[in-house]
Amino acid sequence: MRRLALLTLVIPLLSACGGGHDATATKRLLVVVNAPFSSTPYLGRAIENGTRLAASQVNTTGVRVGDEHYSLTVRTMDTGLSPARAVANVRRAVSDGAIAIVDEGTGVDASWRLAARRGVPICIVFAGGQSLVDAGTRPDVFRIAPTDHGIAFRLAEYLVPKHLKVALLHDDSDYGTAGAKELRRAFARDPTSVAIDETLPADALDLSPQVLRARRAHATALLVWGRPATIASAITAARSAGWNVPFYAPPTGADPFVRQQLADHPTWVDGLTFAAGRLTAEVGAGPFTGFTARYVAAYGVDRVGVHTSGGSDVTEPPETPMYAYDFVNLLASALTKAGSTDPAKVTKALEEVTVEGANGDERAFNHSSHEGVVDDDVYFARFHDMTYAPVKDDPLSATLPTILQTTQ
Amino acid sequence: MTRLAVVVVAALACAGAAYGAQRIALPSPIAPLSAQPPLAGGASSSAENVAHSITASTNVAVAIDEAGAPFAVTATQRLDVRGLGDYFFTIGAPVLAVRAPAGSASAPGMRTDSIVWAGFNPGERLLVARATLEPAKAAVALPIRIDVSGDTITLENATGISVGSFSADAPRAPLLAYLARLRAEVGHGRAPLQTSIPLASTPANERVTVTAPLHVTGAIGPQRIDVMLTGRARIHGHGRVDLRVEPIEHVDEATAASGRALLREAIRATLTLARANQYDEFLGNPDPAGASRTVYTYRTASPPHAAPIAAVGNHRRTWVETALAVVALATALAAGAALWARS
Repeated sequence: MRRLALLTLVIPLLSACGGGHDATATKRLLVVVNAPFSSTPYLGRAIENGTRLAASQVNTTGVRVGDEHYSLTVRTMDTGLSPARAVANVRRAVSDGAIAIVDEGTGVDASWRLAARRGVPICIVFAGGQSLVDAGTRPDVFRIAPTDHGIAFRLAEYLVPKHLKVALLHDDSDYGTAGAKELRRAFARDPTSVAIDETLPADALDLSPQVLRARRAHATALLVWGRPATIASAITAARSAGWNVPFYAPPTGADPFVRQQLADHPTWVDGLTFAAGRLTAEVGAGPFTGFTARYVAAYGVDRVGVHTSGGSDVTEPPETPMYAYDFVNLLASALTKAGSTDPAKVTKALEEVTVEGANGDERAFNHSSHEGVVDDDVYFARFHDMTYAPVKDDPLSATLPTILQTTQ
Repeated sequence: MTRLAVVVVAALACAGAAYGAQRIALPSPIAPLSAQPPLAGGASSSAENVAHSITASTNVAVAIDEAGAPFAVTATQRLDVRGLGDYFFTIGAPVLAVRAPAGSASAPGMRTDSIVWAGFNPGERLLVARATLEPAKAAVALPIRIDVSGDTITLENATGISVGSFSADAPRAPLLAYLARLRAEVGHGRAPLQTSIPLASTPANERVTVTAPLHVTGAIGPQRIDVMLTGRARIHGHGRVDLRVEPIEHVDEATAASGRALLREAIRATLTLARANQYDEFLGNPDPAGASRTVYTYRTASPPHAAPIAAVGNHRRTWVETALAVVALATALAAGAALWARS
């Protein structure tokens, strides 16, 4: 009983001592990760891990803001891919004093206004919808991820000169619908290269009728813009019908789910070409390889769940984590540039700073563009034996090295 | 041993001084003589390992009011970029707004005091930016000043600058050879190179005033204008000003007889080239070895008028009005007090 009484006296005293110590130590700034942890855990974790990795590196020296030093604290909030939850999370993040929000993109159409009231920057690191980011009307929204617009125009730029008759297939998900809109714009320059424009049901397991319609329209290539499941189903429908038509896809073509779905027929994946943000820069694979090593040391290897013909485990390069990582580094640089922890001042400073990205490329925003991945940074890669390599018939892609995607 | 060291050091110092007295570097024909132009620190490239070959051409449109004062400046820069690979260019400028006109392969970005370009060049790429500049900051780097006063329009070359130089006796042959080379390089549009020449006497410091020659063409009202402006020109007439101004990079044939006079000619030629080169690089070029050209146009226009200030804001009461107001106020107070007392 005496001990208990003693403890009740000592514990508050110790806590008080601790509090006193914190007051003189580095101050903390809150970075919130707003992502779909429950519905697409892989994506949520990827964004969280990239954010945490950068924060931990920033915290080794701290962020200098005027005469003070700050460290970054990361807190996660689950959107469950629900816009309503995403908006509620942003409201809470803002009221909790977040200095920035790293966001998957769901609900930003509504949440940006809440963040804008306090000037809190939101950086989207996954969704590519064109309307999400506008430096003029949504001054607090930034993005480090390829845009749907950039992907669509680069695909058109790549495919039109090949004189293919392209079937534009997109699913009816938000992602597919937004992509279809951009594809129509991109291919409007040369409508003769489009054989058919078809909507696919996102949940359908069998897309044979739609693929057959594309075949009857004399398509010589299928460009499928949709969720990974849609892409896998379209490939299955074509290949099981013996149609060896080339497939093209947006970044979701590289999603591990496509390969997992087609693991029983690995050759069906061969030749699938997708567009995505480049993982390396002119300086070569060194910076990205270094980033991957740090990422793997912290969080382990992301296994795709399939094997090469030689039996090696296929791994997933940390692309989405890279974007979150780059944003946190830009944020740290902007804090120092702003000389203030006022989120509105930090948002303005984000337009003025440049950092070297995880891939060795310059990463920056400016007053007129809040896009951290320019359209020129979209490259093409083709699958072979469950791993992919940059194509050689595109000027940018031809300069890029192949990233290691198997365990040694 | 210490003495030996001192002797050796002294001998080396003397040799150095003697060598220094024999040869001297002429001024660079491309180094800027003042902080600007180019505006706001000029242009730079920071794209990893890639060195692009860039030709820059810029049109600067200056809107002037009836008195000749500039009130709006826009610059359209075309960068013809050659070479495969990434680019990240920063073009210094006091920019208020920037956009890409038709024909540009990409859209420029804007930061405080700079235009930014980032992307991948597949081999050849034309980047065009049309920037609205802060008039006050851009005007100080413009090559001519225009003053309209009644029927007299004065055009003044504003590029003049006083810089440090030197004079000395020098052998003619190397100077003649250098001037001929300089003339050929400029004639062929190649970047002129700096050189050093031998001297025959100790150089003496002096200051020279250097001006970039400007070819001014166009019209003032109905009058056609075509002058080479090195100082000031007064033109009698009136009407709208519509002038095109081009810095001229040119080297005259050598005429001086003595080596001393020839040296003076060579120094003036290099400094004049440097000054003209500065005005050809109004917005700079991210490729330090790339060619740059700038054409300036000055046109009379109507400046945007500020909204008229409401008359009430400027209204001041006369003493009579003030006295009446005081009396009225006092009467009202007295009446109010009387009413309150009786209530």
